[in-house]
Amino acid sequence: MKTSDFAKAWTIARRDLRGRFVGLRLLIVCLLLGVATLAAIGSLTNAITEELANRGQAILGGDLEIAVAQREATAAELAALKQTGTLSETLRMQAMARLPDGSDTQLVELKGVDAAYPLYGKFSLESGDAVSAPNPGDIYVTPALMQRLSLAIGDKIAFGEASFTVSGVIADEPDRLSEGLSLGPVAITSLASLRTTQLIQPGSLFESKYRLKLPEASDPGAVGDKLSEQFPNSAWEIKTRDDGAPSTRRFIERMGQFLTLVGLASLVIAGIGVGNGVASYLRGKQGAIATLKILGADSAMIFRIYLFQIMAVAVGAIALGLAIGALAPLAIIKIAGDVLPIKPEFAIYPLPLLVSALYGLLIAVIFALPPLSRAKTIPAAGIIRGEGGSWRQIDRQSLTGVGLAIAAIVALALGTANEPLFSASFIGAAAAILLLLTGLGALIRWLASKAPRPKHPLLRLALTSLHRPGAQTGQLVVALGLGLTLFATLAAIQTSLTNEIRSTVPRDAPSFFVLDIPVERADDFRAKVAETASDAEINIVPTLRGTITEFGGQRVSELETLPEGAWVLRGDRGLTYSATIPEGSEVVEGKWWSADYDGPPLVSVDQEQGAALGLKVGDSLTVSLLGVEIPAKVASFRKVNWRNFGFNYVLVFPPSVLANVPHNVAATIQLDTAKEDTLLSILPQQFPSISMVKVKEIAAQIGDILDQMATAIAAAASIAFFSGIAVLIGAIAASRQARVYDSVILKLLGATRSQILTVQAVEYALLAFLLSLVALGLGLFAGWFVITQIFEFTWQPDWGIVLLTLGIGAVATLGIGLLGSIPVLSAKPARALREL
Amino acid sequence: MNQKPAASSDDAMTEPHIAIAARNVTLSLGEGKARVDILRGIDLSIEAGKTVALLGPSGSGKSSLMAILSGLERASGGTVNIAGADFGTMNEDQLAVARRGRVGIVLQAFHLLPTMTALENVAVPLELDGQHQPFKVAAQELAAVGLGDRLGHYPTQLSGGEQQRVAIARAMASRPTIIFADEPTGNLDGATGEKIITLLFDRQKVTAATLLIITHDPELAKRCDRIIELRDGVIERDSGA
Repeated sequence: MKTSDFAKAWTIARRDLRGRFVGLRLLIVCLLLGVATLAAIGSLTNAITEELANRGQAILGGDLEIAVAQREATAAELAALKQTGTLSETLRMQAMARLPDGSDTQLVELKGVDAAYPLYGKFSLESGDAVSAPNPGDIYVTPALMQRLSLAIGDKIAFGEASFTVSGVIADEPDRLSEGLSLGPVAITSLASLRTTQLIQPGSLFESKYRLKLPEASDPGAVGDKLSEQFPNSAWEIKTRDDGAPSTRRFIERMGQFLTLVGLASLVIAGIGVGNGVASYLRGKQGAIATLKILGADSAMIFRIYLFQIMAVAVGAIALGLAIGALAPLAIIKIAGDVLPIKPEFAIYPLPLLVSALYGLLIAVIFALPPLSRAKTIPAAGIIRGEGGSWRQIDRQSLTGVGLAIAAIVALALGTANEPLFSASFIGAAAAILLLLTGLGALIRWLASKAPRPKHPLLRLALTSLHRPGAQTGQLVVALGLGLTLFATLAAIQTSLTNEIRSTVPRDAPSFFVLDIPVERADDFRAKVAETASDAEINIVPTLRGTITEFGGQRVSELETLPEGAWVLRGDRGLTYSATIPEGSEVVEGKWWSADYDGPPLVSVDQEQGAALGLKVGDSLTVSLLGVEIPAKVASFRKVNWRNFGFNYVLVFPPSVLANVPHNVAATIQLDTAKEDTLLSILPQQFPSISMVKVKEIAAQIGDILDQMATAIAAAASIAFFSGIAVLIGAIAASRQARVYDSVILKLLGATRSQILTVQAVEYALLAFLLSLVALGLGLFAGWFVITQIFEFTWQPDWGIVLLTLGIGAVATLGIGLLGSIPVLSAKPARALREL
Repeated sequence: MNQKPAASSDDAMTEPHIAIAARNVTLSLGEGKARVDILRGIDLSIEAGKTVALLGPSGSGKSSLMAILSGLERASGGTVNIAGADFGTMNEDQLAVARRGRVGIVLQAFHLLPTMTALENVAVPLELDGQHQPFKVAAQELAAVGLGDRLGHYPTQLSGGEQQRVAIARAMASRPTIIFADEPTGNLDGATGEKIITLLFDRQKVTAATLLIITHDPELAKRCDRIIELRDGVIERDSGA
């Protein structure tokens, strides 16, 4: 192929296009929408993760952090840490804040900090002061706690055996993000003051954190590795400034990945609009194409000319979409406010923009090639016959091009995914839904063609419009159907989860989880609960925290990456001991120990985690508790019912292994709602060390988080719907000539404009109804699958919200269809018949 | 069919050159009961440099014959040789390439490219044929048809007659061997049409191209060297036979 052929094609293409994009508006809108969405999602995700990385020191509170559960560092450990850099120590735990008169209590995250805190960032109060550890006896609290207990500066609150004066309201706690999820508002005092509460006891549930400010050129990772080698059995959890909030980062990345996939699905819908727009544009160019052929252009030249035009416009639309997407985070950050975990600075992130541009280009190629392939077969003789030639053939080269572009999109999606398997599943599911919708579209057309003809001519015309030659019913079912299905699925999942969290959980879950009950006062505790509420159900279990340091002969510290799904290896875990099989567990492999077992340490492991670790009965598993390693052998695997709202543990030991380790017990209490507040006011007074977690409040907190996630997902999914609307508008435009013809003939035969509008209304109402039916069926199935098979929750969507969601979509479809019909009504018969 | 010797301006040549040679050309559309025979065995031989009128009522097959002879359509049967090229064996793309520099076509509805100026419209076949200085040649052709001051005008800015002049310039620009004109005055008023026909014949004389005109007008037909009348897909009368 000579270079000059491309030059000729480009010259003619530019000349023919000459800034007239009218025929390609649909292509521009669809590509712009899809690319802007992907670019915005990618830019925002990158912005947040980069901000997390850039502010790593402040977020972590140091260059390196060593965390230990249920103990403080030993003298040797402390000495080693102090030699490494400037040290800051904090302690945090759940505790009950009590008003002096005992009238109210609140579960709080209580944190003690030393004079060196914070090593990085600014700890500030609402008064504007930058502070460090409060004075002895003083405490800083968050606005939420001030409000909850109706506190004022100078008021007193008690924790454990100590009383504090509220001396400031926290404005910014620089390491809040790395502390993770908190079950209540935060209160910060000095380390020394925290110790006066007497809440720090052997067996108490607390976490010690040691942050280090390292010398300038130090590599935190290397320092951490060296310390781990020096203290291999210490069961430290080490974080560096490069990843100060790994849970947050993982959540943001996962959310970003999911939203990107939703955005990609939207772009595929937009691709349908691209294809329709290109087909419509090329139909309008039939005369020009035939003329060019008469003048000596062969089909390859025709292909090149119009490919250059379409790709030039596509590149322009993509560029505009990228610009919008790159700037969108500015608006999103402003609108989202405190919902975002961190407010990033604005910057341009080239990689997500490049990826979005590639997606846009590939979609343009996939959907533009088929109509282009057909257009180049327009015969020159068509100009004489007034024919356009056959629009069915697509040649093998173009098919290959489409296939390669599809493969490239899949490769790009999987290659840029943090979890390729998840992405592959999503792509597979989306492809299956698209294929299903395509089949349904064809089925609807077929059914419309076979349906009994209504007697009324206007109704008959409305029905036949669904299957007439050139009707875009099938494409509309796919384009609008996917958007509506996504909405229906989201509505079903969100309302079902919300009902689970807000109704089922409070109904079936205990009223309280109570932590840190001293083991020697367990009987007193039980008696006090019974005294307050004789019908209360109470379950008490020993509770400890430890870290798995070895499994099946593999030291955890030597692993480069954790096995997929083995979340039990991340950080410390709850442990317990029991003579009998715990409630909610069922032994599926191996054997449970006898009630009086006193042999070598054994452990029973949750079946799923056991599989993730690749363990068998008889394999070794070592945990570190309070700095001491306990090697055990796997005696059995249990199937755990994690949904029973009781105490469920991945690891259970025989009493002989852990009973003598300092520990507390925890309890679940189920009682009449009316007595909850009474118990909440009495028990912390009698048992100052306990923390009482009110399940309803946690459920509400989780419900809020789910609502926020659902909003973000719905926003991304709405692009799919808007793309579908763009396709609908394109379909209306493409069928305009046929509709004008119908309208004119009807007028000729005596129909009024309102009657003609009725035909349009019936047609679009029928389409909207069928679409809603399809979306309802698919959406409910998808929602049911996710809720019952993946989450294993009860299927209980809010039917009102699901139907309302679909209703809005249906009304939008009908409304836009009718709006598009209005110009058709005003066509003048005489003039139209001359032109048609 | 009579095979006339090839014509030549050299007095020493005795055989006129044959520009168009068609043997037993048939054209059928559709199949089975829906089959329609449009051309039923056309035998035709046209000398180079001659002007030929193709007459006949509607449906006689004139446009179809022109489509086959100009390479816009492939015959169902028979052979078609156009200026030395066997059009009968070529596919669509080969025909398009074969038309370059060999065939020029003027149509009733002008069929200019609406997004291009008069100059660009005329330049397109020259550019496709890879000819040297296409815009210079195009400008000269437009000047020759009296539109030297309309080079930058778009078709919508030109009258019907002017558009047809552009179409004629475009058809002649690459000095094709044969010009086909299908009812070139069909969309024009009488006076304008007359001017167009005069222009067409003038340009034909200058370029020495073979000219085949489809027309309903017997007066126009009389201006041609030869008149071929078609009826029901066969040649009914041929003044040159």
